[in-house]
Amino acid sequence: MTQFVLGIDFGSTTGKAVILDSNGNMVAAEVSQKGAVSDESVRVALGAALRHAGLQLDQIARTVSTGYGRRMVEMADRTVTEISCHARGAAHLIPGVKLVIDIGGQDSKVIALDDDGLVVRFAMNDRCAGGTGKYFETLARALNVGIDEMGPMALKATLDMQVTSMCATFAETEVIALLAEGATKIEVLGGVHAAMAKRTLGLISRVGKRDPVAMTGGVARNPAAVHHIEKALETRLILPEQPQIAGALGAALFALDDLRDQAVATPLPKAIPMDDNDLHGVEEIEGSSAPACKSKAN
Amino acid sequence: METALNRFAQAARQPDETARNWKAKTGKKVVGTFAMHFPAEIIHAAGALPVLLQVSDEPITVGHSGMYPFFCGYTRSLVDQNAKGRLDYLDAIFFGDHCVQLLSAADIIRVQKPDRHVGFYQLIPALRDNWSFENAQRTLNRCIEGLEQELDVVVTEEGLRDSIRLFNTNRQMIRELYDLRRQGKIHIGSSQMQNIVKSSMVMDKAEHNALLSSLMDGARQGNFGDVTPGVPVYLSGHMCHAPKPEILEMIEACGAHVVDDDLFTGFRYVSLDADESGDPVKSLTKWYLGRNTIVPCPTRLDPKIDWDGWLLNDARNAGASGLIVLLVKYCEPHYFYYPRIKKTFEDAGFPHLVLETEHESSAGGAMQVRVESFLEMIKQKRRPQVSTV
Amino acid sequence: METLSMNITAATQKKSNRLQTTKLNNRMVSEYWESLFRAPEEGRLVCWYEGIQLNPILQAADIAWCHGEAMSALLAARHEEGPSQQAAEEAGYDRELCSYARTHVGCAVMTQRSTPEEVSSLPADSSELKGLASRIPVPDMIISAYPFCSTGQQWDDVIYRTFGKKVPIFNISMPWIWGNKPSAKYMSGPEFRESVDFMVKQLKECIRFIEAITGKPYDHDRLNEVMTYIKRAAEIRLEAMDLCKARPSPANFFEWTNSIAPVNFLPGGQEIVDYFEKKKAEIQQRINEGVGSVPEEKYRLFWDGIMNWNKIGWLADKFAQYDACVVSGRYTHLGFWQEPQVIDLESPLDGMAQNFLTCPISISAPQVTEKIVQHCRDFEIDGLLLHGARTCRAFSYPQHLIADAVGKRLNMPVAMFEGDMVDESYYKDEIVNSRVEAMLEQIEARRARSA
Repeated sequence: MTQFVLGIDFGSTTGKAVILDSNGNMVAAEVSQKGAVSDESVRVALGAALRHAGLQLDQIARTVSTGYGRRMVEMADRTVTEISCHARGAAHLIPGVKLVIDIGGQDSKVIALDDDGLVVRFAMNDRCAGGTGKYFETLARALNVGIDEMGPMALKATLDMQVTSMCATFAETEVIALLAEGATKIEVLGGVHAAMAKRTLGLISRVGKRDPVAMTGGVARNPAAVHHIEKALETRLILPEQPQIAGALGAALFALDDLRDQAVATPLPKAIPMDDNDLHGVEEIEGSSAPACKSKAN
Repeated sequence: METALNRFAQAARQPDETARNWKAKTGKKVVGTFAMHFPAEIIHAAGALPVLLQVSDEPITVGHSGMYPFFCGYTRSLVDQNAKGRLDYLDAIFFGDHCVQLLSAADIIRVQKPDRHVGFYQLIPALRDNWSFENAQRTLNRCIEGLEQELDVVVTEEGLRDSIRLFNTNRQMIRELYDLRRQGKIHIGSSQMQNIVKSSMVMDKAEHNALLSSLMDGARQGNFGDVTPGVPVYLSGHMCHAPKPEILEMIEACGAHVVDDDLFTGFRYVSLDADESGDPVKSLTKWYLGRNTIVPCPTRLDPKIDWDGWLLNDARNAGASGLIVLLVKYCEPHYFYYPRIKKTFEDAGFPHLVLETEHESSAGGAMQVRVESFLEMIKQKRRPQVSTV
Repeated sequence: METLSMNITAATQKKSNRLQTTKLNNRMVSEYWESLFRAPEEGRLVCWYEGIQLNPILQAADIAWCHGEAMSALLAARHEEGPSQQAAEEAGYDRELCSYARTHVGCAVMTQRSTPEEVSSLPADSSELKGLASRIPVPDMIISAYPFCSTGQQWDDVIYRTFGKKVPIFNISMPWIWGNKPSAKYMSGPEFRESVDFMVKQLKECIRFIEAITGKPYDHDRLNEVMTYIKRAAEIRLEAMDLCKARPSPANFFEWTNSIAPVNFLPGGQEIVDYFEKKKAEIQQRINEGVGSVPEEKYRLFWDGIMNWNKIGWLADKFAQYDACVVSGRYTHLGFWQEPQVIDLESPLDGMAQNFLTCPISISAPQVTEKIVQHCRDFEIDGLLLHGARTCRAFSYPQHLIADAVGKRLNMPVAMFEGDMVDESYYKDEIVNSRVEAMLEQIEARRARSA
């Protein structure tokens, strides 16, 4: 009988869920952006994934959670950090990848993998949101452009503008000052993306450049970010089709490991029993107040 | 044994109160000193309690009106404590380490409290030059003269030898605990071990020796609790001041088992004994110059000693599977040396992790995920690739 | 009575009135670096050092020298610091580390990686070839002599290790002038004398180290000769600086900074004497004509702290726009052969040691604040700029104490802002503007009160 495993990535600004069958085929992958520090995005992503897969929650044999809020996912059998999960997911999507650059909602990380696809080194920048999704959101507001327009606009820049500060908090002030001095939005955006690529290069140098390189995380969807990082690195970046699900996929793969280990060993600890109320909670996400996973104020 | 550990924890948590109580009880003087290489035996021989000043848990507030925020947590905290009057119980401060940030703090401290003497006797940081011994010896002699004058006492050779003996005894017992831990015969949590060392820095040495003795028998019989399973890890660095206990505890809670360290509030403090016979100033000079060969320090200069190679060796000998470098933000000597450690460990395929610490922050989620990821990385099993569509 | 305007605005068309002589300085500096790059092919040994002015000692032994800070400053001034800073970052050196050290260590890392053959095989238009950083010759020796700043000493140690410990290094440990006893006064007292003697002893050992490497007996006569020029040049420079007590001041701090080279690392010879004669003459000429360094001198300011090399010219113009002349600074006016009178040209080492030990970071706060207070009185300074160079803790640490001292004793307002010597990402222009403007407003307010 086919079993299913679930990987949940409880990120700082998005929730992701991936379901695999016991052969490792991806049967669902969902991303939900519902704002930071709440389990709502996870519930939405989970609900959507189950619906897409045509499954009930009790058909999930094993769950691994990852991401900033991994410990808040009560249904998880265990947690694994996003470093291990992103590496695992990326190595799965892009066999042979040696470097993974992940720039997400609030943090950025670089992970180096060995020939077996295992993590050998990693570096994180989670002290400062410069260059992450949060930064681009603030920037979009300051420039009064759509967040998805910024990348294409930045690609039109020609002047190589120097932007020295990457502070997300002060992004608005910086940008206003630049515009007041006569810079165009396009050039400001060009300079910002170049600066962000330079910072990413700094993070990469802590780990050491290697090939092939993949980029995951929300910012991978920004063509200017990709372009400038490629330029700074002097290498093409491999972009998986769904760059945001690498973490959840990795988590699901760890869950699959557990299941397979289980097949030759003693029974796994039981998953937290779900009663009918919880199931309904999952299916009626939009209006429900029954939590599928406990959220804690942080 | 419980009493001893509790006393150590208390002194580590509240060093100033411990010193003030001692002062009230004995009516004697208390002389503050700074990290890391100053031989406090000299102060002890002058009849005063040497207190190796510690970082305070208090957030830095007024201190920032004297010192910029881009100085290390140790120096900023010292300036802050001084400004708040927390160090007013000290009768004097005497120190010798040459570190630009430490000297900056000392200067600000003496300008802001001009009535309390701060004596600086610069211990030559270059340890292997032809004049290193002579200069260090002269410096220590000048320092003793200065102490005698300030405290109006006479320091005798015999008295100084006695102090050396007392300090040696203390160091030996702590080193024995380290040995027992390294051999896996006892379990001492890393913050507990830190309490033992840190309390020695601020308590009356004879009293500390008595408390230590009371737990040595039990320790030798393995009565310190069973070794808990976990990834064996070596902690390195964190110059001059103690990493926050929460950080040490978090590292262990994530599944690491600390087998050894070269922390200042750790093995570095007790690494070497001084000769108990002969000219005691010569002994302390030898001790000062020799410490670096036992546990290399990035603040000292010795072309023949390589901290990175030594560290790899020490971590391997301790049976560690990973190195965690605790790097204090703005600590320049560590910043200078870290790239060599990084290269040596990477070339050797020995996993390492850097945790940068700041006075203002503690063992938050960000730090925890790094430690967890690191331990996961060490533990990960090689398995055949999962084939999928 | 005319109401004094409190509205401080910058007039963007005003520029700093640069001295002509500075062009000569620039030429001399370029020639010096070119001669350094040629040293290996000319068969001259090369010494890397930073900190105090050891160059006369090297010059007497015909050794070419590269001063680390000067190299970093040059790169920054020409906006070429990027590659070496990046090389350092890739090797793992933290951004909060002294940016001089980082830039220079980056040079060492790059130099390690590029052999003369590699460099000569690069295409003629390659940026690497044009890049200064990879052109400094590999050292044949390293001499470390850094006052106060342990970072400087450790920097040399790192350079030594970067070169695989194959380049001999000599360490001079400089005692900090702290003053434990009441007898410790500026340049006097038994503690000072003991420090000077220890310094001289090490300088002599250093000379023996040089002899061992060159294989030749040291030419002390040559040292005396070189010092004759340096002493004279230093004296004229001090005289020229002194002339700037005139109102308006004919020269400004940025130019004194721009022309540190002749008293810091240019060879001791007639050229540097001529340079300062020329400079002094030009300054005197301006005084005769009543010409100032800024179009309108309403405010006389003092710059405390190390320089910001990426932005010198730009800063000079900025202050001209505020009608402010930055007349002098701690970095330029309290250092660099600042006490030439104690140099005995028959036996210069003692006088040299005294100069080294009294440079502005070698004397601790009580002495340095006293000197600054006195200086501000002498030069009739209205306000103090405190450039808190983020990665130069040696220079920035006493700034709160200095601000206190000038505030209490001279009732002088200050403007504090963060920056850096060679890493311009630490400098925030908007912040500098608002703080400077606030200070100038305070100066106006004080004037209004006493009017």
